[in-house]
Amino acid sequence: MRIDHTHKAWLIASLAILGVATAVYVPYAANSPTGPSAGSAIGLAFGIIGFAFMIFSGLLAGRKKVALWRLGRAQTWMRGHLWLGLLSLPLILFHAGFHSGGALTTVLLVLIIIVVASGVFGAALQHYIPNVMTSEVPFETVFEQIDHVRSQLLAEAEELITRVAAPLNLVMTAPSGDLAATADAALGAEEATAPLRDFYDREMRPFLEAPESPNQRLADLQAARGIFKGLRALLPAGAADTLNSLEEICEEERQLRRQVRLHHLLHGWLMLHVPLSFALLLLAAVHAFMALRY
Amino acid sequence: MSPGAPVELTIDGKKVSVPAGTTVFDAARINGIPIPTLCHQQNETPVGVCRVCVVDVGARVFTASCVRPVEPGMVVNTSSEKVQRARRTLVELLMADHPSPCARQQQSGDCELETLAKRANISQPRFGRRSTSRGKDDTSPSIAVDFDACILCDRCIRGCSEIRQNFVLGRMSKGSIAGIAFDDNQPMGGSSCVSCGECMVSCPTGALTNKSVAQTAIGSGPGFESVTIEDLQQLPVFQGVSGTFLSLNRGAVLRRKFRRGEIICREGEYGSTAFYILEGKARVSISSPMAHVKTIGRLKKFLGKLSSGLTQRVADKRDEETDQHWIPIDAPVDLAYDNPVAELGPGDLFGEMTCMSLYPRSATVRAATDCTTLEMLRNVLDIMQRSKNFRAQLDKSYRERALDSHLRAVPVFAGLTDEFIGSLREKVELLRYSPGQAICRQGDPADSFYLVRIGFVKVSQAHPGGEIVLAYLSRGDFFGETGLLQGDVRTATCTALDHVEVVRIGAADFNRMLQEFPEVRRKLEVVEQDRAQQNQERLSIVQSVPLDNFLQQGLMEAQSLLLLDLTSCTRCDACVRACADAHDGVTRLVREGLRFDHYLVATSCRQCLDPLCMVGCPVGSIRRRNSLEVIIEDWCIGCGLCAKNCPYGNINIHPFDVMADDPENPGRKKAMVKQKATSCDLCTNLAEPSCVYACPHDAAHRVDPRKFFAGLLGQSADQAPKSS
Repeated sequence: MRIDHTHKAWLIASLAILGVATAVYVPYAANSPTGPSAGSAIGLAFGIIGFAFMIFSGLLAGRKKVALWRLGRAQTWMRGHLWLGLLSLPLILFHAGFHSGGALTTVLLVLIIIVVASGVFGAALQHYIPNVMTSEVPFETVFEQIDHVRSQLLAEAEELITRVAAPLNLVMTAPSGDLAATADAALGAEEATAPLRDFYDREMRPFLEAPESPNQRLADLQAARGIFKGLRALLPAGAADTLNSLEEICEEERQLRRQVRLHHLLHGWLMLHVPLSFALLLLAAVHAFMALRY
Repeated sequence: MSPGAPVELTIDGKKVSVPAGTTVFDAARINGIPIPTLCHQQNETPVGVCRVCVVDVGARVFTASCVRPVEPGMVVNTSSEKVQRARRTLVELLMADHPSPCARQQQSGDCELETLAKRANISQPRFGRRSTSRGKDDTSPSIAVDFDACILCDRCIRGCSEIRQNFVLGRMSKGSIAGIAFDDNQPMGGSSCVSCGECMVSCPTGALTNKSVAQTAIGSGPGFESVTIEDLQQLPVFQGVSGTFLSLNRGAVLRRKFRRGEIICREGEYGSTAFYILEGKARVSISSPMAHVKTIGRLKKFLGKLSSGLTQRVADKRDEETDQHWIPIDAPVDLAYDNPVAELGPGDLFGEMTCMSLYPRSATVRAATDCTTLEMLRNVLDIMQRSKNFRAQLDKSYRERALDSHLRAVPVFAGLTDEFIGSLREKVELLRYSPGQAICRQGDPADSFYLVRIGFVKVSQAHPGGEIVLAYLSRGDFFGETGLLQGDVRTATCTALDHVEVVRIGAADFNRMLQEFPEVRRKLEVVEQDRAQQNQERLSIVQSVPLDNFLQQGLMEAQSLLLLDLTSCTRCDACVRACADAHDGVTRLVREGLRFDHYLVATSCRQCLDPLCMVGCPVGSIRRRNSLEVIIEDWCIGCGLCAKNCPYGNINIHPFDVMADDPENPGRKKAMVKQKATSCDLCTNLAEPSCVYACPHDAAHRVDPRKFFAGLLGQSADQAPKSS
């Protein structure tokens, strides 16, 4: 989600909550003879509120599962997730009095720091990457359709190569005379297009077929431009349109790769954030139960 | 010399005797001496325009033998070197103005001009070819006209006037732009041509050829019976049709027999034939449920889970839904909304729109008794419809049986009395128009009111920036009221989009109706005001949007766009999943489409101002509300034509399990899947579309594009149209 002026109200409210919490915590910590304690009334209050914020943030995943339930707009839940989730860290720190405590609380503290940090990182990515994707991937397609689009690009390239490699196509551009001349022209044309077929077999087909393979020259825009420039010099003028089309196909493939990378970046952080959040909530619940019971 | 007295002359050295008054051409022919010709046929008056039949009679110049009568002692030379050279030059000149091979030469290899040229060994004419084309006329469903191939021999004109007495064809212009013309230079399809085929049979070249149809044989097997030309010509509706023409279209009309209960055609299916009932009765019905698709909440309030269901308008009256009680179908009768069944009998023709414009079948027709029909392809139907006898029969049938229900099917006229409709019966005119033909033009005096009986009519206005489409009208719609109510000129041009038939009511009868029925006047005035307001809004929209890209993407045509802000959208697909959840797992939006600025215009109904989806609906169930939004009425038969017509792929076909008539067991019901067209319904029963509601990133927006992009279009939001 983009963090922009529409978040102003949430920002002010969050700062106000943080200010009030700090205003409560500082005199409480300063005046407490044994230091701030999680078990004190104020410490407990910080813990309950912080945990409540964590639970609310965690409920976003559930909210997404029931998108049609009229429980408030999804974007409102997302804003709450961002700001209350962020606030939960200082509140839990106030609750813990900035001490890690025992093994469980230490794990909890580490977890909440990682979860909040990964969340902030994710929010930053969501703020930044959609812009990049929009500007750098004009051929963007639905992510799940990328393999299908790739197979179409490969088929299109194969078709182009088959056509340009068929000698008669180029013969048609040569002046037609007797049969022998036509045959000579055909052989000449085949010879003339050999570099293109060689390039396709060695570089372009693997580039389109195996997007994961490393060290592909066509994956680099500048290198690809150089290759096609060289081919234009080698091939007859009649092959120019085919070369342009092949270059466009390579460009589209590069954009698809870029889209895949950006997509993984945009959503990859959730692999850390989501499971750790669940772990955090679970352990926090265990911690609350044990602390209140014993 | 008395007529008929023998005249002696010499032709090519042979002494011959023929009756006085015989032409040289005939004298030679009778005596076995062939003279080539192009413009002359034995059954037509000779005119001597092609001059190919020139002969040397010893005069100062050669003479056209087809028009020159014999004289006593005349010495005729038909094949001297000089004559042959002159003839060859004439053929060369004609070939220079003839596309070779022409359509006839391609079809059957018997173009008379090209045969002559071949015989004279003429391959490359020495003379320069015409640089500009004289054009083609493709408007007739049965005859193709290629003006370039015409050699102005006038055989078609004489065939039309002398043999058939139709007087449709004539000569137009002079000199190098001379040509043949239909009526006062109308397109052939829009002229009074009755498609008898005589011109085509008479034509020596490929200028007038039989138009082949995509499917030349209807079918074979049990129930299909071929009909001989003699059998057809005995039927009153085929009287006057050229036997040659019918012979060329052998197989395009068959006799089909159906046993009681057998299905003749099924709603929603695509076809290319029409049926004419010879004997027996048929029952026409719509078997799709009379209901529209509604997004339904299974549980109340915030726990609402949505699904799509079928609901009748009695249970769910939507805003501006029509209160029409009659459903227009492709038959001489309309069907009642409450009981969509009617009967057809001998002399009834159905399936015209399917046959002429290839629209899906609008209803299911089943034989109510053992039934015999003629099933025909488009070219044969066109001949029938142009036959004066058949037209008279159709007109009579319409006036007696359909005018009443047709008028009453229009809510505005529901209050007309039987007496008044009876008085109109003999006064209304049934008029046919070909695709592209103007029915009335903007600025013409308003002299008639029109009711659409068959086909689709485009209503447009000419403006300095070009033509603006105001509406598409289909069966049951009417036009022409504005000019008549204002007592002024036509305010728009109405053009036939396909094969259109309209009922024309003259100004005098229209005014009498307004006087006798003030309620009708009041309703028509309301319609006129609504239409004027809509037109004004549309005009203001068109005039206020300058950006080319905006226009190119069709965004100006949209009233409501689903936009995804690509700088906020994380491509999480929450919108697509929410839409699918709301519509039984079938999403009505695809997160792909064109980009405008940094927005993605998602594939979801745009509520277009120029809704092409409506053109062709065989039952007229998709239409525009007064608010210009698209609504699909209850009687959609799920044929899918609207989905095909939508340029943006925004209409889907939704399957529903229903109980419907079992075709194998008449009278019994069977569970089957029926389809209904659906488009984005904006989740109208919810406060906000589900896709927008479910977007966690504030990226999905349903907007009026002209307001939303007002800044980009160089307007303030206040300047943007307030209409939508």
